[in-house]
Amino acid sequence: MSDRTVHGRVELDRDTVERDLMKLVLTVVELLRQLMERQALRRVEQGDLTEEQEERMGLTLMLLSERMTELRERYGLSAADLNLDLGPLGPLLPPEPPE
Amino acid sequence: MSESESEDATTGTAEEPTAEGLTAEGLPAEGPMGEELLYAYAVARDADTCDAALEAVGGVCDRPVRTVRHLGLAALVSPVPAADFDEKGLRARLEDLPWLSDVARAHQRVVDAASRDCCVLPLRLATVYRDEAGLRRALAAEREEFGSALDRLEGRVEWGVKAYAAEGAQGMQEAEGTGETKGAEGAGGPEVGTGGTGRSGGSGGSGGSGGSGGSSEGSAAPGRPAGSGAPGSTGSTGSTGRDYLRRRGAQRREREERWRRADDRARLVHETLAALAEGVRLHPPQDARLSGERDRNVLNAAYLVRRERSSEFTSRVGELAQAADGVRLELTGPWAPYSFVSRDQRRGDGGAGE
Repeated sequence: MSDRTVHGRVELDRDTVERDLMKLVLTVVELLRQLMERQALRRVEQGDLTEEQEERMGLTLMLLSERMTELRERYGLSAADLNLDLGPLGPLLPPEPPE
Repeated sequence: MSESESEDATTGTAEEPTAEGLTAEGLPAEGPMGEELLYAYAVARDADTCDAALEAVGGVCDRPVRTVRHLGLAALVSPVPAADFDEKGLRARLEDLPWLSDVARAHQRVVDAASRDCCVLPLRLATVYRDEAGLRRALAAEREEFGSALDRLEGRVEWGVKAYAAEGAQGMQEAEGTGETKGAEGAGGPEVGTGGTGRSGGSGGSGGSGGSGGSSEGSAAPGRPAGSGAPGSTGSTGSTGRDYLRRRGAQRREREERWRRADDRARLVHETLAALAEGVRLHPPQDARLSGERDRNVLNAAYLVRRERSSEFTSRVGELAQAADGVRLELTGPWAPYSFVSRDQRRGDGGAGE
């Protein structure tokens, strides 16, 4: 366990294969979610969206974030677990401000 | 398939420390059982007397530490079993964290004891020689480097300073503060929408101000601003998504601002301390998962300080810690100059501090 977290390595093991796969999938989804959120915030700042578009995008992102939290909790994963250590490149995901 | 993959991964880690953490020279390929090797802790000047301090200190495997003198240098050594410390044994043992930490502790114990009375150059963890002859050859080969390093480090100690962006504590305080503001004013302003509000509204008493529905909603949808569900808030029931974006934007800006402040602060700390130091070594920030620290490590530096300036240095750290705004400082030392033995490291990073 501690070894796994220290290296941030995805190890496949018969007993934990489902959780580990889920972790990998959620990591990818989380990366996309963060990118979309950033992009959405940038576009809101630029002001090139209608209120309705902002509302729809915000709602989608909010629901996605809630759903992510639910899924993480179901598989007993913390926000920090959904990250990969890319060695010299640092972590895959930047630390997120707490919701 | 999956098993062979995980095996590959394990051997991968076993090799890493061998390449980086060990001195390859003098390391025997393999030794027969029962044989002993010489574990070397540090190198000092022959004229210096560390012997008294070492009598009371047990080395690795609790074996007594002695000095091997050669060409004006003295190496602190103790015998270790070849089965554990030859190349093959060591590679296997590097996976064994409790064993490794025992060795590291013994290593540090010996170096610390010796450095109390004289200047020593700590060697890398698990520097092993086959016998005294091998050790003497190594001392002879690196005689000049050891000599100049001893000249450079004589009378100096190393202080370690770490700075952490105190995010956890600060975040909590802000969350509480926001809750109070909300209770007093009850408006849906942008500050009110920061992260803590939803949480404190759901669990604490302050949620009452958001209406009776506020607390149950708060727990069901933590991302939702407590104000939007309350009756009598600005009537924009259809703007949940926009509220969410605004809130996330504010959280991001706030966090970035806090990081910028912490980085500025860490830079100021470093510049102030570097002015009192003869050498500076910036280590990579510590991994929170290894240190167990929740807060982000924004500075992890070692300073080479003259012994007589140490009290000035530590009191300056104290002053900085008092004034630290959003940054927590941690001082360790005085250490033997672990980070400054190699000249390259000093040259490589010294520039950053000046």
